Amino acid sequence: MSDPSLASPPAPPGRLIDLRRRYFRTPVQAAISLACLGLLAWLAWGVLNWAVFSAEFSADASPETCRAGAGACWTVIAQRWRIILFGLYPYDEQWRSALACVVVVAMIVLSCLPSFWSGLRLAAVWVLGTAAFYILMKGGIFGLRQIGEDQWGGLALTLFIFVATCLIGFPLSIVFALMRRSKLPVISHGIGLVIDAVRSLPLLSILFAFAVVVPFMLPDFLQGGRLYRVICGAALFFAAYQAEIIRGGLQGVARGQEEAAMSLGMSYRHRVGKILLPQAMRNALPATINQFVISFKETSLVIVVGFFEILASGNAAYGTGEWTFAYREVYAFIALIYFTFVFSLSRYGAYLERRMAVGTR
Amino acid sequence: MTSTDQLPTPAVSIQGMQKFYGSFHALKNIDLTVEKGEKLVICGPSGSGKSTMIRCINRLEEHDGGRITVLGTELNDDVGNIDGIRREVGMVFQHFNLFPHMTVLENCVLAPMLVRKIPRAQAEAAAMRYLEKVRIPEQARKYPGQLSGGQQQRVAIARSLCMEPEILLFDEPTSALDPEMIAEVLDVMVSLASDGMTMICVTHEMGFARRVADRVIFMDAGEIVEMADPETFFGDPKNERTKKFLSQILGH
Repeated sequence: MSDPSLASPPAPPGRLIDLRRRYFRTPVQAAISLACLGLLAWLAWGVLNWAVFSAEFSADASPETCRAGAGACWTVIAQRWRIILFGLYPYDEQWRSALACVVVVAMIVLSCLPSFWSGLRLAAVWVLGTAAFYILMKGGIFGLRQIGEDQWGGLALTLFIFVATCLIGFPLSIVFALMRRSKLPVISHGIGLVIDAVRSLPLLSILFAFAVVVPFMLPDFLQGGRLYRVICGAALFFAAYQAEIIRGGLQGVARGQEEAAMSLGMSYRHRVGKILLPQAMRNALPATINQFVISFKETSLVIVVGFFEILASGNAAYGTGEWTFAYREVYAFIALIYFTFVFSLSRYGAYLERRMAVGTR
Repeated sequence: MTSTDQLPTPAVSIQGMQKFYGSFHALKNIDLTVEKGEKLVICGPSGSGKSTMIRCINRLEEHDGGRITVLGTELNDDVGNIDGIRREVGMVFQHFNLFPHMTVLENCVLAPMLVRKIPRAQAEAAAMRYLEKVRIPEQARKYPGQLSGGQQQRVAIARSLCMEPEILLFDEPTSALDPEMIAEVLDVMVSLASDGMTMICVTHEMGFARRVADRVIFMDAGEIVEMADPETFFGDPKNERTKKFLSQILGH
């Protein structure tokens, strides 16, 4: 008899054998696999043919020749990309808007780096980043021409609304979640009511309310600009959902964790900051990334209160008579931009999950 | 009981304590004094209130009547008092309750650094000393999830010791352990006892009680039914309920 401890695990089958086993085990299965393969190839051909093989790539083709072609007309992007990215921002000053985008992206990337995860560093990144963005966009000092928020647009506006919503909404959501756990019923029930009220309204109506209704209710000095009111509305909406996500994460932390921290004499602040929230955030991470992704895409709703973020700027880019036929190309381009940001965000989420899995069995 | 020359402040003094869960009377008129350096073992059937009683001592549960005085400070709604007492009273839990997102060493230095404001280097040196005491210094850089139950419980004991408490409460420290790991935890507890630590242990390890305890308490239905030195307690129990309980847990 051979020594059982010398037995080796079975060798993995080769690629081809594995494929045959999975997809061509029986004649019927083989037929289905081939049919699906054919369908995929047909679709891929269709897309590639439109987007690449028959497409017009020349930057200065006229709309007429472009329209006559069988494929996509990328000329529209080459000629109109400034409107898509910068909206109504004055043409000569668009470098400022571009630079502001770079600032926001740098701010996001830096906040995502673990080496920046201390209160002081994050605060520095955010304060400096926001100030730089604001000065670049708004101007009025350092010899920069002043440009009102009504003229902001495109990618810079989308990024600004997203980042500002998260920067205000995320801390607010933590406060909401902690208030909801309060032992005082006035606080826990009160905040529960607020969260439920905000969640039961569509984001559209909240944005409308903050943009249009709030000016009637608040004295002038409390109103702030319309853009900032809209951001506050979006942040409140974000906080209401994110608070429930964090509350779920907190529920997943064993009761004994807080008791252990209490028995060591740790204060409420330390118990929450060092023991509960780090574990709750780990539990809540997938849902949190989801919420960030949704918020990024929901920035497109600000069009209803008159702001030309990237999607609305895209509408303007093809909406000028000569290029109206090329809406597919513009939307494909905008989709690519959204995809770049959202996909990076979800890959970052996956990285965080791997990183945080350290220490769990 | 220990006796000292000066007039000693008892470690814990409980007078007429009541505890209710809704209308359920969980602890009935508890009177108990524990001197400094004393080792007390509390046993009793599940639901008898023993865990609740020791959890009242560091106010993980609030008592509803009577007085609890710990190291001369009365437990009341004064948050400062409660935090002060918790600094001096360590607790070891049935399910260890180590912080899973931190290494063993971080678990040990967290509270000393945050609560006692001890610098990191000093806190780490102390932590390594206590990890050596519980015979587990080589695991300092690991996470709790990578350790066995017995190792985790020893880390939990070291974590409590790092706060240099006057009193240690043990809430069924070996109940969640596989049998082969119980001994390693009990050995550590015995060595702590010989160092003179004030210990209040809820446990069913009667061998430990016999060997270490100054007094053994039997609780049932929220009352202290019997209290005696281990020899009398095991050799000549007075109360019928105690006799029945002992025959059940020692019977096989």
